[in-house]
Amino acid sequence: MSSALRRVATAAQPMIGIAALIAAWQAASVIAANPTLAPPLGAIARQIAAMASTDLLNDVVASLVHLLLGYGCGAILGLVLALLAARSEWFAAILDPYVEFLRPISAIAWIPIAILLFGVGRGVPVFLIFYASLFPILVSTLDGVRSVDRGLINAGRALGASRRLVVTNIILPAALPSILSGARLSLGVAWVAMVAGELVGADAGLGWRIMWYQEFFSMDGVMATIVVIGAVGWLLDALLRALQRRLLAWSPTTGARG
Amino acid sequence: MSPALRIGLPLGALVVILIAWETAVRATGTAGLVPSPVNVARAGVALIADGTATRALAGSLQRVLIGFCVAAVIGVPIGLAIGTAPTLDRIFRPVLDAMRSVAPIAWIPMAILWLGVRGDAALFVVAYAAVFPFILNASDAARRVDGSLLAAARSLGAGRALTFGAVITPSALPFLFTGARIAMGFAWGSIIAAELAIGIKVTGQSRAVAGLGQLMVETLYVRRDVDALVFYMLMIGAVSFLIDFGMRRAQIRLMPWTLR
Amino acid sequence: MTVAVLRLAGVTKTFRAPRGGGDVVALSGVDLDVREGEFLTVVGPSGCGKSTMLSLVAGFAQPTAGEVLFQGQPVLEPGPERGVMFQDYALFPWRTVMGNIEFGPYALGVGKAERRGRARELIQLVGLEGFEDRYPHELSGGMRQRCALARMLANNPTMWLMDEPLAAVDLQTRIILQDELLRLWGDGGSAKRSTVLFVTHGIDEAVLLADRVVVMARRPGRIKAIVDVNLPRPRAAQRSSPALAELVGRVWDLIRDEAVRAIAEETN
Ligand SMILES: Nc1ncnc2c1ncn2[C@@H]1O[C@H](COP(=O)(O)OP(=O)(O)OP(=O)(O)O)[C@@H](O)[C@H]1O
Ligand SMILES: [Mg+2]
Repeated sequence: MSSALRRVATAAQPMIGIAALIAAWQAASVIAANPTLAPPLGAIARQIAAMASTDLLNDVVASLVHLLLGYGCGAILGLVLALLAARSEWFAAILDPYVEFLRPISAIAWIPIAILLFGVGRGVPVFLIFYASLFPILVSTLDGVRSVDRGLINAGRALGASRRLVVTNIILPAALPSILSGARLSLGVAWVAMVAGELVGADAGLGWRIMWYQEFFSMDGVMATIVVIGAVGWLLDALLRALQRRLLAWSPTTGARG
Repeated sequence: MSPALRIGLPLGALVVILIAWETAVRATGTAGLVPSPVNVARAGVALIADGTATRALAGSLQRVLIGFCVAAVIGVPIGLAIGTAPTLDRIFRPVLDAMRSVAPIAWIPMAILWLGVRGDAALFVVAYAAVFPFILNASDAARRVDGSLLAAARSLGAGRALTFGAVITPSALPFLFTGARIAMGFAWGSIIAAELAIGIKVTGQSRAVAGLGQLMVETLYVRRDVDALVFYMLMIGAVSFLIDFGMRRAQIRLMPWTLR
Repeated sequence: MTVAVLRLAGVTKTFRAPRGGGDVVALSGVDLDVREGEFLTVVGPSGCGKSTMLSLVAGFAQPTAGEVLFQGQPVLEPGPERGVMFQDYALFPWRTVMGNIEFGPYALGVGKAERRGRARELIQLVGLEGFEDRYPHELSGGMRQRCALARMLANNPTMWLMDEPLAAVDLQTRIILQDELLRLWGDGGSAKRSTVLFVTHGIDEAVLLADRVVVMARRPGRIKAIVDVNLPRPRAAQRSSPALAELVGRVWDLIRDEAVRAIAEETN
């Protein structure tokens, strides 16, 4: 095989996987021969097109608003708590056991309490997203700040850097890789929490739309929404990945991966 | 900071919060509408005594275990395969990324349709959630097996089977364990979600196989018992904590070099 | 008689051992006067407290007992007049060569145009032209060292504190960097030289560079002897002189026992 041909083949490989997935679904739907159990591709595609011209934008925007509110608060609080804990041993001692106890509890387990507190509506998904995104970024940030190389701090101080400058120009950039990977982890769990929260406790958003289609027994609609959820979730992660690459161009590990 | 202070500080904070909370509920006379620490404790004792809580917990745990095992059986071989063959990795990585971006709970309507409400739908969601940590960590494990170790084994005359058993498996094991720990966390988190979602759809229909999630839905919508609800919440938290703690402990015991 | 720009008087530093056990006495009763413009090198077996001494002078830590006086004032914290060059470079990985070198002036509030100009000069001085926009991980070991040197010089420190600055490069690079360091310091005879405290494991290097060589001993860390090096400068011409070889032999005699004992302790 010529090298050009081989390069084309390598470039095509990711497509092969996706194509195989789609083909497998189509095969299943042909075998099942039941458009409810396994809606055929054509039906799903038509459904997505139909949604695109009606409610899709509203649903996506509603979900993104939930995400922005919950993730924004969760990430900021996580960052602030981590920085406080890194500064004060006392605060860390009080915070630590609560984090250790609350962190393993999936945000989703809070659904009934959230429904009780906020009623069905925006509050449930926002709260769940907030809770889900809080811990990964908190723990990663704390880890990053605590493991900043002492030598770099000393180097900065010897060059005349003030306390504030040491924090903004040395500790924060040194911890940035950890902070960003925490932010990505947070976004991943936040996305799941968002769908769950909307599914059972909201009146708008992509998760809610799934249940709405189920009410009408429109499995085309359910599948179409699932595809949209996967695509938007993937896009958001790709966005953060790009940000990571952009901000960490200096890092030997991230930078080299290109 | 002394160990006594390390334990005393957070404990003190907890006691202060609980007392303040109890006082506030009593002072406002909202007991029954708002959970209070004493009432939550009372509800908990009653629910454990009559077996309601423990039966539901057992039902949920059983499904978590089955889903977890299904995920392991599917996920580990896939992970090892794509970890050892870069071509497979390039082909299937996008598929995995795409499927991973779909929140497991979104499959609930399809899962109910395929497997029915009697618990198997929840099982599907659990397995779906738990399979990705297995795949990702197993592929990581396979990728990170030291090439010079493999070369050494081969030059010493080890065949495929021996290489797999004596080199690949032991060096991959720690990663697999980490994957299992994460998968267990995901599985436990999603069983509650799945049961909740199913419970909200079909309250009362599936009492026989009810898990904690369905029980919570019933408590919320039918009995409106806020104290019991908070108790279930604490129970879920305790189980989450114990699972994580236990698996960490096991990992430290079995493979002390893998966790800091 | 010139005044001591740096004076260590009865300096002792102990560290609490990590898990129980007794304290580690890193330095015990160290007295040392350093004259202005002097090039002082410090040699001694591993663990004798060389780095500890340097970090006390830099102001990263305080002595447990005794005093560290710089220009007559006790050293309480780091300051830009005492530049430090670290063994592992300690370059900021998120800043380019240019960004690293201009950090010092930036921290002191020097305006952008001025600090850029100053950094450019230094980049030229250490021979890093064309690499201004590289990140540290994109540089070779020798280039990182030059960058660290330029960063130290950017604040015009009157005292250079250098902890095994040339340890991590290959021998050829090391010889070249030694010559460059001497040139920058003003080995050819310059009006105003900085005062240098230079820690090294290389005895040849210690003698070649220094006006005086401080030989340290361990357990507890202390000064064993100070050897005067009365060789003419510039030293680059002295590399193969018999006088230098003789001095190297004397310093080696002073630390051989210590080194042998250190190895024996480590292997026990
Ligand atoms: N932060 C610290 N905490 C505890 N002990 C320390 C600390 N720093 C240094 N020590 C101990 O003090 C002693 C002197 O250490 P120092 O780093 O000054 O030695 P050194 O002469 O620079 O050695 P080397 O040649 O290996 O760099 C050693 O026994 C070391 O273990
Ligand atoms: Mg040292």
